[in-house]
Amino acid sequence: MKRGFLAALLLIAGLGLYAQDWDGKWWKNSRLAEEIGLTSEQGDKIEKVFVRSRPVLIDLRADLEKKQFFLQQAMEERSAPREDLEAKMEAVEDARAALQKARQRMLLDIRQVLKPEQWQKLVQRRQELRARVQEQRQMNNARPPARKQR
Amino acid sequence: MTMDPNGKMDAHLTEPELFTLALPPAGEPEALPRHLSECPGCSRAFSEWKAAVRELADEEPEALQRRTPEQWDALADKTLAAVRRSRIGGRRFSVRWGLAAAAVAAFFAIAVPLWRARPASPRPAVKEAASTLSAEDQADDALLQDVARLTRSEDETSRLWSSLAPEPSSTEDDRL
Repeated sequence: MKRGFLAALLLIAGLGLYAQDWDGKWWKNSRLAEEIGLTSEQGDKIEKVFVRSRPVLIDLRADLEKKQFFLQQAMEERSAPREDLEAKMEAVEDARAALQKARQRMLLDIRQVLKPEQWQKLVQRRQELRARVQEQRQMNNARPPARKQR
Repeated sequence: MTMDPNGKMDAHLTEPELFTLALPPAGEPEALPRHLSECPGCSRAFSEWKAAVRELADEEPEALQRRTPEQWDALADKTLAAVRRSRIGGRRFSVRWGLAAAAVAAFFAIAVPLWRARPASPRPAVKEAASTLSAEDQADDALLQDVARLTRSEDETSRLWSSLAPEPSSTEDDRL
């Protein structure tokens, strides 16, 4: 039981690392690239797509974080006018949508580089990993808390 | 440190204490308590913790990523078995077993992200060559992961909202 609990925690940590890598520059990870059969030429093309998107992503991330900060500050102030809060909330969601669109545009360009079956494998593998992390977390949460031994 | 049933001071180090000593906060010198040099059991247990830290710290990120769940299991088993062996003969072994399991779990949960986030240190040339992600790539990687996190619904703002205005419980839902 203790070993199982420990193994579950370790598995989450390990899978969490894998899942994170699929969000990052997965095409630079030889193991992950191999899993979907990525060629070096495709890797170079994907890198170019990313380099083109990078300045936009940097700007939009900064914009979203700035707006989140302003909203957080306003929310902590109990006297902040409701209209002001609503405007800031709207600004955060607009900024998030802009970042999401930029990310999706980049992903669309990346998809153009990949063969349909490669893309399919990429999406499927990523979903599998996320599902496994989620499943392990749920299993872990469902376990009864360990008895205090002291 | 705790008191034993006879009221005497029991100076054996707990697993969390050994864990903290094996993985001191970044930049802080490792200060070892005197008890470690006087107690063979604690000293052996400490060596096992250090060995586990070294095993992870010596691995490249790629190798760490390649670890299968079975390998994580094996590492956990090995560390737990080694800590258990080092405690055999120690009178508080059975009481500490549960704590040791929790501490090992905490160790792996903390050590891996810590190791990944640590500042670059001088390493052998062979290891440098094995690394595939350059500093620039690592920054790009962090950017992409950040973007993915921010565009998910569970971001900082959502967490802030739920702490300020918790979701209604099921009984409240029923009443509405």
